[in-house]
Amino acid sequence: MSIQTSMPIISMRHVDKHFGQLHVLRDINLDVAKGEVVVLIGPSGSGKSTLCRTINRLETIDSGEILFEGKPLPQEGKELAAMRAEIGMVFQSFNLFAHKTILDNVTMGPVEVLHRPRKEAEAEAMELLDRVGVAAQAHKVPAQLSGGQQQRVAIARSLAMHPKAMLFDEPTSALDPEMINEVLDVMVELAGMGMTMVVVTHEMNFARRVSNRVVFMADGQIVEQNTPDEFFDHPKSERAKDFLDSIKGH
Amino acid sequence: MGVSEVFAEFGDVYLQSLLSTWLMTAVCFAGGLALGILATVLRVSPIKPLRVAGDIYVQLFRNIPTVSLLVIFVYALPYLGLMLSYRTCLLACVILVVSSFASENFMSGINAIGAGQIEAARSIGLSFVQIIRLIVIPQSLRTTVLPMTNLLIATLLTTAMGSQVPLTPPELTGMVNYVNSRSVAGISAFVLSAICYAGTSVVIGFLGNKLDEKVRIVR
Repeated sequence: MSIQTSMPIISMRHVDKHFGQLHVLRDINLDVAKGEVVVLIGPSGSGKSTLCRTINRLETIDSGEILFEGKPLPQEGKELAAMRAEIGMVFQSFNLFAHKTILDNVTMGPVEVLHRPRKEAEAEAMELLDRVGVAAQAHKVPAQLSGGQQQRVAIARSLAMHPKAMLFDEPTSALDPEMINEVLDVMVELAGMGMTMVVVTHEMNFARRVSNRVVFMADGQIVEQNTPDEFFDHPKSERAKDFLDSIKGH
Repeated sequence: MGVSEVFAEFGDVYLQSLLSTWLMTAVCFAGGLALGILATVLRVSPIKPLRVAGDIYVQLFRNIPTVSLLVIFVYALPYLGLMLSYRTCLLACVILVVSSFASENFMSGINAIGAGQIEAARSIGLSFVQIIRLIVIPQSLRTTVLPMTNLLIATLLTTAMGSQVPLTPPELTGMVNYVNSRSVAGISAFVLSAICYAGTSVVIGFLGNKLDEKVRIVR
């Protein structure tokens, strides 16, 4: 695929990480091209969430290096904050600011980090909220919204920063089944618009339909990666076969 | 002398002492909150020596009886060349003690925020200072209204420590000595002060509950 050959926007080289005795990331090498949608799948405890969180340095690494647009992630401080502002992140548990209205959740980044005028930021936030279908809730607080609505607000909050790439850490795992699709729909639309996305998910249909590449992890290692059709139809490794067997057939 | 007679004779001086108590309470509480926020920011900062300094500060002033602290301020500081007025000593002691308890309240408020919101704030590029200012302080203030109401009442009652040093005008407890050294009011003088303390506390408690209902964060 031509998309794989352009200069990677995210690049991980020989990344290792331990949680105490536990070796959670083992020699991870992963490039993500601009506009690419990469889905990380694997059994729980395989390190996929940790991998996702190292990309904007919410988790530090023990060795190796991570590059964003060719530059290594800086140490904690102003520079890192500036880089984080360019990488959107959507969490499993939404993590909206509980004391702020939906609108203020979306405008906080643009106003405080990008120093945009409040009026302008609010106008854009309303457009974004409209796009993800929660404009009518703009003046409520997060606890008044359903999980699916909260997650869509969280996506709008990330988009308001005009990110160059977005990380999704199990965005639908905490949702009731009937709310999963409303969040996935927004993500499908984003992918269609050319957003670079790294998605940790258990939604295999989403992975198959939307991703450019599936990365399968187990025990902290990337075991295999391939296009979604190849991976799901002809998995090569035993681990991947076992995993795919274990999740199908219900 | 009955309570009404004490009131008839000393009513205006009582009023002065009540105002004095209210003023000291307000000053000590405001100062305590400000210092408490400062200590708490130290305690959650990413720099370890600052965290340790914040913890030591809180442990120190939370665990010394206010009266001992006052004795140290009044009798020991002059040896170090620091001569403060009695009122300044009293205010400083109460502020230090109140700030350490305020910091403990703030810490429990911060623990209620949850790591997720902080991570979300970091991932949109907010700095440590911005996260403290925009997320941590507003949320912990709003979740700690009830414990802070208790602390305000405790501050009011702690200003009674002012009876241990000569103050003009005296505060409510010192006022009892003032009255009893000029008349034979006996227990009545205490009752009048007690009514003032209790009345003020009830009003504070009521307003605190109202405020809590208004600003409490729905989770």
